[in-house]
Amino acid sequence: MNYIQLEKLGEGTYATVYKGRSRTTNEIVALKEIHLDAEEGTPSTAIREISLMKELKHVNIVRLHDVIHTETKLVLIFEYCEQDLKKYMDQHGDRGALDPNTVRSFMYQLLKGTSFCHENRVLHRDLKPQNLLINKKGELKLGDFGLARAFGVPVNTFSNEVVTLWYRAPDVLLGSRTYSTSIDVWSCGCIFAEMISGVPLFRGRDNQDQLLHIMRIIGTPDDRALRKLAQDSPEITIKQYPRYPKISFQQVLPKASPQAIDLLENLLQFDPSKRISATDALLHPYFTGTVSTIPYGMNAPPGSMPPPPYNYPHPHAHHHQQQPQQQQQAYVHAQPGMGQQPHMGPPTMGQPNMGQPNMGQPNMYAHQDAARYSQAAQAMAQAQAQAQAQAQAAHAQGLAQAQAQAGYGGYAPQYGQGGR
Amino acid sequence: MSAALVPLASLSQIERTPSGEDGLPADLEDDLKAFGCKLIHQAGILLKQKQVAVATAQILFHRFWFVTSMKQFGIGDVGMGALYLASKLEECPLRMRDLINVYDLLLQRATHTLALHSSPNANPDFKYAPMSYFGTTFYDLKDALVVAEMQILKRLGFNVHVVLPYGTLVNYLRVLGLTSREDACTRAWGYLNDALQTPVYALYAIPTIVSAAILLTTRHLHISLPSTPPNCWWDLFDAAWEDVWCVCGYIMRLYRDRDMVERVRVVGMVGKKEVRRWLEENVAEQ
Repeated sequence: MNYIQLEKLGEGTYATVYKGRSRTTNEIVALKEIHLDAEEGTPSTAIREISLMKELKHVNIVRLHDVIHTETKLVLIFEYCEQDLKKYMDQHGDRGALDPNTVRSFMYQLLKGTSFCHENRVLHRDLKPQNLLINKKGELKLGDFGLARAFGVPVNTFSNEVVTLWYRAPDVLLGSRTYSTSIDVWSCGCIFAEMISGVPLFRGRDNQDQLLHIMRIIGTPDDRALRKLAQDSPEITIKQYPRYPKISFQQVLPKASPQAIDLLENLLQFDPSKRISATDALLHPYFTGTVSTIPYGMNAPPGSMPPPPYNYPHPHAHHHQQQPQQQQQAYVHAQPGMGQQPHMGPPTMGQPNMGQPNMGQPNMYAHQDAARYSQAAQAMAQAQAQAQAQAQAAHAQGLAQAQAQAGYGGYAPQYGQGGR
Repeated sequence: MSAALVPLASLSQIERTPSGEDGLPADLEDDLKAFGCKLIHQAGILLKQKQVAVATAQILFHRFWFVTSMKQFGIGDVGMGALYLASKLEECPLRMRDLINVYDLLLQRATHTLALHSSPNANPDFKYAPMSYFGTTFYDLKDALVVAEMQILKRLGFNVHVVLPYGTLVNYLRVLGLTSREDACTRAWGYLNDALQTPVYALYAIPTIVSAAILLTTRHLHISLPSTPPNCWWDLFDAAWEDVWCVCGYIMRLYRDRDMVERVRVVGMVGKKEVRRWLEENVAEQ
């Protein structure tokens, strides 16, 4: 193996994670070892994680460098991050609560990574502090795509068993199987509140209890709203719920600034169709407003340097995005026998990077203004517009495919033999 | 859009398939692929599996033969592996034992039907002989299944994202004003499903394949659509005539009458061992 295995970092249900060092570059990496089970073949979590993460190249998403496939195990080589958000909050927070500048920086990066996933038609489905990794440069990265899945048009029905309970959206708690990107947005909202206060916002014991915890704060939706939910996703079941009035988030999170409260309000909408999209959330005044208008910093030590608030992704990020475009993705040609060529990874996997227009522009959002935000919010409010956009995206996809067709031939050989 | 871009075979992969390089004639390879897909489809029905998982399995199955020869893996094992894998991808996983039993039944039945045709004194009633619960047959098949799944993942480089054509068909039929013609909708839908037995989903973009299904439908039902340049309906969908025509050819070749020899040949070549034997007997090596 091209990596030296160092100490164990953690153990999950289906994998063990070790720190590792590359023999060739001395780079520190995380090695996620998945044991292959004769009872169920390759775990579906591993299949999802590899097939989706090798497509997602972004500063705010943990990079999958390589995959090593042997007869008994599968090793995923990830970029190394020092700790997860949970541990970071425990160590650096004031009883878990982070200072406003850090919250804003992390929140921006969280939404940036989430928005990138959604633009690439991937739902993460398990966003929580334990799955957000922080490196020593202060970069936050989405990790653990074991529950993630690709989504397309038309909407398929998905598994309902997703997202750790405390971060699970109310529509999923009600039984929705046709959820979409809004389920990740809900989790982002929960994480936002948790970073501000230091404790998880909704701590239910089970599905039903979780729903009540949510209603106790954001209020029980009225009958009309509940009926609309049932209409939007017919598979959900609506029961009788106690009538809780809405409590203002300012009361729950006294430390938060008005803009933070407004953003949180938009993220934690009971009705998934009213929830802001991750992309639009990035344009919220909480991020775009000038620093001086935000009355935070009460408990920040005087003269402390605020972390770079919203000029992520990392300035060096776009280096990775500038790969030559490949229009045709040919299959990997491998040799028979698993032991013979245990190595494969994104570079040899025939992974095209279609030069996303939304990547590698570190400062585009610095120019956002309130007008654009309100425009975006309006557009967002119209669920139909969204549906239309999806249909258009589907058409654009068709176009991209047609183009891929036109350009085919001659790309194949570069995959098969290289790097074996 | 990168995640939505579906991998297609390259020109060199199309011109020289691994099985073809090993000496397997192209028509036999196509017949074997079609039979492998029929098995996947039949197994899917018996297992009450969702159609999206079955279709996904068939597309993965076709992609696989652009990187692997049938001399190395049999269509039975790979079909089973593809269905198992696709069921995980579509979040409707199957039990290994169920899948193995169903494949065993299907293969026994195919062999029986063949025997009936070749020897007139065979017993006309098919009786399934179940394998023993802890027998080696089961464990051998299970190993083959796990290996097949892993090999599909590995050889396709985990590029298991598949786009199905059905939504696109509905859109196109609407655009062309054909939704009121129920016969046309059903027929086009059927062509798309039959096309899953051909490699077209690994060769052409979805709009091209859907246009081909519509073209066949309208020709058969004598529905006229604007088809003289510069007003060709398929231009609306960015499909090139040559490609559409080629897909039609793949689909129509499925319906060619096969003589007994051809049919027997296919059922007898489900495993890689039989493929190897056939190659030894029929291909004059240098």
